[in-house]
Amino acid sequence: MGIIGAITAPDTASRLSLDCKLASAATSGVMAFNVKKPGTQVPGGGQGENMAVEPFKLVDCSLARRAIGRNCSNLRELLDAVRTVPDAVLEHHMLRCPLEDHFEMYEFPNDLARWCWEALGDPVLAEELGLVDPYKESSIAGVRSTLIDTIEDRLWGLERIPWCRSGFELHLVASRLVAYDTGERIPTPAALAETVERMSLRSLFFHVHEARRRTGGKTDDFSFWLEQFDTCAELVTRLRELDFYFLNLSQLRQEIIDLFHQHSFVPSVT
Amino acid sequence: MKLLDRYEEVVGHHEIQRLYRLAERLSGKRVVHVNSTRNGGGVAEILHWMVPLMQELGIDASWEVIEGTADFYRVTKSFHNGLQGFPVALKKRDYDLHYEINRENAKRLNLQADVVFVHDPQPIYLPEFTPQDQVGRWIWRCHIDASHPDRGVWKYMEKALPRYEATVFSMAAFTRPVACPMFLIAPSIDPLSDKNCPLAETERLETLSRLGIDPDRPMLLQVSRFDRFKDPLGVIEVYRLLKPYHAGLQLVLAGGPAEDDPEGAEVLREVLDWAGEDQDLKVLLLPPDAHRDINALQRSAIVVLQKSIREGFGLTVTEALWKGKPVIGGACGGITLQVHDYHTGFLVHSPAGAAYRIRYLMRYNDKRLRMGQNGYEFVREHFLLTRHLRDYFTMLLGLDRPEPDSLVV
Repeated sequence: MGIIGAITAPDTASRLSLDCKLASAATSGVMAFNVKKPGTQVPGGGQGENMAVEPFKLVDCSLARRAIGRNCSNLRELLDAVRTVPDAVLEHHMLRCPLEDHFEMYEFPNDLARWCWEALGDPVLAEELGLVDPYKESSIAGVRSTLIDTIEDRLWGLERIPWCRSGFELHLVASRLVAYDTGERIPTPAALAETVERMSLRSLFFHVHEARRRTGGKTDDFSFWLEQFDTCAELVTRLRELDFYFLNLSQLRQEIIDLFHQHSFVPSVT
Repeated sequence: MKLLDRYEEVVGHHEIQRLYRLAERLSGKRVVHVNSTRNGGGVAEILHWMVPLMQELGIDASWEVIEGTADFYRVTKSFHNGLQGFPVALKKRDYDLHYEINRENAKRLNLQADVVFVHDPQPIYLPEFTPQDQVGRWIWRCHIDASHPDRGVWKYMEKALPRYEATVFSMAAFTRPVACPMFLIAPSIDPLSDKNCPLAETERLETLSRLGIDPDRPMLLQVSRFDRFKDPLGVIEVYRLLKPYHAGLQLVLAGGPAEDDPEGAEVLREVLDWAGEDQDLKVLLLPPDAHRDINALQRSAIVVLQKSIREGFGLTVTEALWKGKPVIGGACGGITLQVHDYHTGFLVHSPAGAAYRIRYLMRYNDKRLRMGQNGYEFVREHFLLTRHLRDYFTMLLGLDRPEPDSLVV
């Protein structure tokens, strides 16, 4: 057990088996890759090795959600909450919304903006909060500070405090992400492309959203792993350029699949 | 064939494998569920599938049921109502009776376990009478909306909670601040149960014919007991507002008989009076085990209503969405988690609002069908028993390892 980034590498036996798979794939002529010698820690895999890339380790995750016994029914209460709630609450409402979002046409990408729009009827603040991109902040403290500043600024110019009707309160929730190894090892970029199509949306969230959070917004797990293959340089760039902030997880999956398919290494399906 | 294998067709092979992987971390743990009845009611329905599935996943799960007198169940029925916010008049001797019956059950039941889930208020005082070294963790699973309880009932319940390490509620709006963590786990449906399994077309048509419903004309449906909070009279009003635009429209109000519920019987009388002689308006009193009939009705409706004024989680909404039907739901309780405007149906605040939205859906078939498809997918992802199990396992793993905020197991 450990924190993300410290996932243990597969044991020797499984590594040998994976090496055999790689060799088999290479000699079959289906897929062959130039492999770099990364020697670096791979979030989706293990410790990089000379001449053989550790397979991508597929992780799934689930949220343990907790009510904190507090809710907001007006903007002043929201400001007070944003100032004082534990980090896990802001993290849940700002960063983990994709796991709770189900449909394509949500107006705003985080719970606070959505609540201001739907329950308080304050489109101005909703738009401003929608623009707060938590992946651009290096810490939750930074997100908190930006949120406080945005809400304070809005309150400053209002003569009346916006409030919501009974039943439309914002119930504050904290969550804890529990990630677990699925046991699946993905040996090649082509196999990764196929896996993206069928992996759970929770896995996708872990390897993209959570990875960006872990790495200070720099990378997702897929591109970090693909970086080890010379042939994938452009794909790596495109994956890192992907603006996923406005996509739900199903849309994100499709965009990633499209990016993979634009690359010639994917064998055509016969 | 294992029980879980049957669910592969619904949620996919990988989803089942993920469940096994997650449960591996809890392998061998002894988990006991305690409630107040083996049959009848939503909790028993959940435990009937949850306990065997936990066992199949390597957890040493079992199910214990407390026993009590008729008087005890009268008191716990009042607790149930009190937790939901209805004023109740209980005397000290009623609380004493509950306390003593918990004491007796604690002696009788096998509660030796790593984790004991105590479901609802009936067995809530068991920890008080169980030796501390017998149970690793007590968790109170409250299936009721306890956000605005009767003060006296809550004061009594609250005194039992310090022995619990965590509580579980169905949604944040149902919680009331307590000293231990309040986990949120939504309930779920079993996609293979009689109420939710796929039905042959012949069976569906045979059911409609038996119940006197024309399969060739559009039908609106509300499935719920006859209770003012379900607003059955409002549903009839919706139907009457729509009838001038759709002469062939039928309405079915399906619920159970209300012999043991005086208020229910009164509401039913009002509904029958209000329905009058309209041949297209059917009030069906179905027996509690008429699951396949309900299934057939839900599959036959053009739109399903749940026009509640007050609601628990609203699993009838989940069932309707699972059958690919858009739902017109009152904006209350768990309906707000399931009905999303323009995606799975519409939240409404009045009979006029409901009629307006249904008229829209009957005008735009493509939108109605798309919302139905959305609803099915939405339930598949979020409200099937596999997700329910995953949430329980996630919570247990989290309790085993208190920090840090994200954890890899």
